Amino acid sequence: MTSQSEIAGTPAAPWPGAAAGSARRNRALFVNFFRRELTTRYLGSVSGLAWAVLHPLVLLGVYWFVFTNVFRATGFGGRSFITFVAIALWPWLAAQDGLQRATVSLAQYAGLIRKVAFPNEIAVYASVAATLALQFAGYVAVLVVLALAGEPVHFEGLVIAIPVWIVIALAITGIGLALASLQVFVRDVEHVLSPLLMILMYLTPILYPLSAVPETLRGYVAANPFGWVVTRLRDGLLDGNLALQWGDAVALAVAVATFAAGRWMFLRLSPYFEDFV
Amino acid sequence: MSALLSATGVGKDYAKVDSHGGRLKLVWDLLRGRPAAHSFRALDAVDFELARGASLAVIGENGAGKSTLLKIVAGVVAPTRGHIQVNGRVGALLELGSGFHPDYTGLANIDLAAALLGLAPDEIADRRDAIVAFADIGEHIHDPIKSYSSGMVVRLGFAIASTLAPDILITDEVLAVGDESFQKKCVTWMERYLADGGTLLMCSHSMYHVQKLCRMALWLKDGRIERYGPVADVVPAYLAYHEEKSARRSTPMPDAAARAAGLYTIRELALSPDGSIAQGTDLTVSGEAFSPDGRAPVMLIGIVRADGTPVYGVGTDMDGVAPRRIAADRFAFALTLPGLALLPGKYFVTAVAADPEGLRVFDTREVPLVVTGESRELGFVRLPHRWHE
Repeated sequence: MTSQSEIAGTPAAPWPGAAAGSARRNRALFVNFFRRELTTRYLGSVSGLAWAVLHPLVLLGVYWFVFTNVFRATGFGGRSFITFVAIALWPWLAAQDGLQRATVSLAQYAGLIRKVAFPNEIAVYASVAATLALQFAGYVAVLVVLALAGEPVHFEGLVIAIPVWIVIALAITGIGLALASLQVFVRDVEHVLSPLLMILMYLTPILYPLSAVPETLRGYVAANPFGWVVTRLRDGLLDGNLALQWGDAVALAVAVATFAAGRWMFLRLSPYFEDFV
Repeated sequence: MSALLSATGVGKDYAKVDSHGGRLKLVWDLLRGRPAAHSFRALDAVDFELARGASLAVIGENGAGKSTLLKIVAGVVAPTRGHIQVNGRVGALLELGSGFHPDYTGLANIDLAAALLGLAPDEIADRRDAIVAFADIGEHIHDPIKSYSSGMVVRLGFAIASTLAPDILITDEVLAVGDESFQKKCVTWMERYLADGGTLLMCSHSMYHVQKLCRMALWLKDGRIERYGPVADVVPAYLAYHEEKSARRSTPMPDAAARAAGLYTIRELALSPDGSIAQGTDLTVSGEAFSPDGRAPVMLIGIVRADGTPVYGVGTDMDGVAPRRIAADRFAFALTLPGLALLPGKYFVTAVAADPEGLRVFDTREVPLVVTGESRELGFVRLPHRWHE
């Protein structure tokens, strides 16, 4: 054991990062949180990592069974149902998971928020980033499996898919910031969110093509921002269509605005977290 | 000497809400940039300066705003009014488990503390051993913090804060926990730190530690500065105030006031038999405590002689029991001392209400007790004994 006087003698020596700016500190903190999110959430339990991939796979299997064997849905333009759904389902589940994690992320760091000065938003960023990173890895893995199984996957479509995921990440982070800050004050957010997301999922053309929606309602369904995500991912990965559209610029602008608005709300409320979290 | 820290007109209001609707309304007000409709003034018009090498103790009763002030200085809370300027790196050890993540292991929390300072794990590799050695908690360093005892948490917290060598060290009641040898180690370290030019801002109920470590003291009362100056002036004035207060204490604080201030209080305290008891008979101390958050407080019952000499004291936490809940925020406690071993004389029975962690004393009440009898034994307690002939 080191003696007390030895330790007491060291304080005068500065730390290597003593004079470092706050940007450096925030990065170190993000990395620490991000790693911890990944290890505790997925690697901590044996089933954790398996679930991250298994859950969407099982869901996909159920949808495949129900929609092709029971309902005998058509209208996929001769395309395979399973690929059609898989391409859209993963980003949705990722977004859903990201939002739910973000909403409760501040509660996980309550001890820190109450006692240490740090930008609280880092907790939300780490939570969303860890979720999306893992889900994206799962997405690519599933695409590879589908391709190996002989499904028509256009990998060049990743040129479109990756920016689309970035747009999702921006928007999800923005909404996540807003929900997380609201959750601190109103604990119901977390409970209202799951059923709401479930409803939204069925209103989004994930399990069906937009063309299957009656014409009178198609405009409303198409206005769903996540509809853009689904459509663009299918354009790229299913059809190999890499052309850019005006809608892409609009989607990016909407995502940036969502992020800015969410962050604004978060920063407005964060000075009061310490007392309520 | 340059001011390392200066506070001007610092004040803090905490929003008060009870219902869910109130919370939504609060969010709406905050988003529009308006102050909360209902608030509690925790701190107001606090001015002070801390020069490099200075040592300041913040003293005052529970709920006086001490912790709020330290949190503001540490940057955890933004002041509602006034301005605070810090020209250095603040190392804060606020209450128990300061800045720890309960699910992380001790080692992971060391990395977290480093990250809070902007250091990657490899950059503190050489300091980690020193921290582990100072904390001296053995193999527990590999366990999650939530499994630690309060003493172990403080050991680790102090080890980190001290090894990170801040410009200003802020400690809130950390010396109240931990065993005596660790307290000694901390005090020795702090003395050394001060001698080496370190700056200390501490908050403590222990006037012994205040007088030992600090040169200046700031007495907060109801969120305002009651007195600010050299320890030699402020501490005696504070102690005199307390003596006077306990002399005229009769009625307990109303529940509403206790709830607003977040205090555990003793509502009733009674003896059975009342006031006078024959030596060797059963004494029951009972009463009722109020809890602002519905958690059972730790109750301590003690007996002191009329001259103030402590005779015996025991707490619910020591015996692993808890006061019985009789309402959402009220708890009944009762302690029987069978065949009271006290020798005839005048005593006081003291009851103390502490928070559920058993760390902070919130309320104290005492009632006089006269033990009657004809014993000629000496001292104040009869020990079980047997003569050999």
